[in-house]
Amino acid sequence: MTDIPTNEPVLSVRDLHVDFSTRRGALKAIDGISFDIAPGEVLGVVGESGAGKSVTGSAVVGLIEPPGHISGGEIRLAGRRIDNLGAEEMRRVRGKEIGMIFQDPLTSLNPLYRIGDQLTETIRTHLPLSARAARARAIDLLADVGIPAPEQRIDSYPHEFSGGMRQRVVIALALAAEPKLVVADEPTTALDVSVQAQIIALIKKLCAERGTAVMLVTHDMGVIAETADQVAVMYAGRIVEKGPVADIIGRPMHPYARGLMSAIPSLVSDADRLVQIPGSMPRLASLPDGCAFHPRCDRCFDICTTLRPEPEPRGARRVACHLYTHEEMAS
Amino acid sequence: MKQDFVQIAELRRTFDVSKPWLNRVLEGGEKQFLKAVDGVSFSVPRGKTFALVGESGSGKSTVARMVVGLLRPTGGAVEIDGVKLGPQARGGAVKALRRRMQMVFQDPYASLNPRWRVGRIIAEPIRAFGLATSKREMDMRVDELLALVGLHAADARKFPHEFSGGQRQRVAIARALASKPELIVCDEPTSALDVSVQAQILNLMRDLQEQFGLTYLIISHNLAVVRHMADQTGVMYLGRLVEIGEGRDMFRNPRHPYTRMLLQAVPDIAAIGATRTAVQGEIPNPITPPPGCTFHPRCPLANDRCRREAPAMRAGVACHAVEEGRGEAA
Repeated sequence: MTDIPTNEPVLSVRDLHVDFSTRRGALKAIDGISFDIAPGEVLGVVGESGAGKSVTGSAVVGLIEPPGHISGGEIRLAGRRIDNLGAEEMRRVRGKEIGMIFQDPLTSLNPLYRIGDQLTETIRTHLPLSARAARARAIDLLADVGIPAPEQRIDSYPHEFSGGMRQRVVIALALAAEPKLVVADEPTTALDVSVQAQIIALIKKLCAERGTAVMLVTHDMGVIAETADQVAVMYAGRIVEKGPVADIIGRPMHPYARGLMSAIPSLVSDADRLVQIPGSMPRLASLPDGCAFHPRCDRCFDICTTLRPEPEPRGARRVACHLYTHEEMAS
Repeated sequence: MKQDFVQIAELRRTFDVSKPWLNRVLEGGEKQFLKAVDGVSFSVPRGKTFALVGESGSGKSTVARMVVGLLRPTGGAVEIDGVKLGPQARGGAVKALRRRMQMVFQDPYASLNPRWRVGRIIAEPIRAFGLATSKREMDMRVDELLALVGLHAADARKFPHEFSGGQRQRVAIARALASKPELIVCDEPTSALDVSVQAQILNLMRDLQEQFGLTYLIISHNLAVVRHMADQTGVMYLGRLVEIGEGRDMFRNPRHPYTRMLLQAVPDIAAIGATRTAVQGEIPNPITPPPGCTFHPRCPLANDRCRREAPAMRAGVACHAVEEGRGEAA
């Protein structure tokens, strides 16, 4: 972990709220979340569908689709506020300062252009380079992401690449302008397992070399375990637990995080039955009062149904659960 | 020896992927065939779970579809409880077999008719096979099935869109159980579900297996799910079975280089900050598979023989290196 206290975080999110306006009122997709990512650090954002992890990623890159909008809080990139930038300004930040990797590499690449053209376009939009220098840089980037014979492959079209190779091209595109932050939303979900590991290793290596901060959004806890330094577990639009990866995965404290970890079938455990969390994620339109997890929680008590727990520091992590504040009061 | 409930012998399926006739005439070029499944044999004893794992394009779903009869095999035979379903299989015996096998699909959003109420969806197999004599009997059976999968009788009046993904998969399982089948083929039953819900569905499938003595054929790319569920596992690569292993043994002692590679590649929560040798290469184009053992371009143990000659399945593994004892040292 690169935890240098004097270092300013690359990304700093404070009390972020994202609402989706509907005819029946505003749905709170993100309800007051805060986190930082230091240079060279990988923050894993995990949660199940509907937890708000992808919306968080979209908010950071300024790509929330209407009717969604940021309704409160602030996002700072290297100290500069970016959540209130105009569309044109934000477009320049995206690509230059924030690189993006999405789930499906085929939809992130234009099928009608050679990948070399797409790479040089991105490079020249953000860096003052001649066409020739940009092409040389594109070839270097392709070599960096492990594409064999980049001098020839640069003139291929996206359909001529396999899924894993395409995702490598997308990573090259994301890193083309030397961004400070890369937002990767489910970068390995569309890939086969044997290729997943290659892509994870690649993202990790390249970002470590360049000191790029990474926000890795995924539902795959295995990917998080191997890649992330810090993990934020999301549930119903809130971060319920956040801390170093070994703590969260090895000894989760929040009952939801605990349930989540033991629900995953492992390649080493010999349990005959999986631990299951009853029920499913509540809909945003009908969030329960108090702690949003209380109807599914096996440790639920009176206060959980009425008062929403706030994230409180517990050692190196922050946990939003009455269980621990209650214990303290009792002792 | 008593015959196993499901017997699959030398199953083959090729797909014609040629360009249209006119293009072939004008531009030249031969007919092209894709061998999706190339000589797969295995058997599943009654009441047990067999799982097929492999990456996309390995042919595992094609096998599943041939077992339930959604696809006709190009060659080989599927034999279920002594009844042969092959390229030539027809007639009453096959029809009677239909009731005894059912399928659960990956995507519970696509496999349930959005315009039908759940009660009608679940009643459909009962009606189709004429398993109820009166409306009252059918309704009772639907209530019973809903209760079995952990839903309420009142849910029968709802439409699929009113349910979450996990609940829909429960409906799909209830429908599969409606005809009182003995074999259920599950194609990626939990891939579309969140992990907390996946655990619910996997536990439910186990409970139902115990209760009704069901035989499962599970298709999955998720090795951890397969390890959790299967009594026997077959690993597929480019249309062929490369290894068949018992229970958790195969996960403890994988023998085929591809199985080893797969097991090493899976990101696991027990492996925090793990560094390991990344897997080399990707699955080749199945239209023009490599000669000999199709895995040889990615295999660290490949030699000349592997490049020439396709290995046969011997004692649960199809690999020259393992056979010659070169595999164990690595």
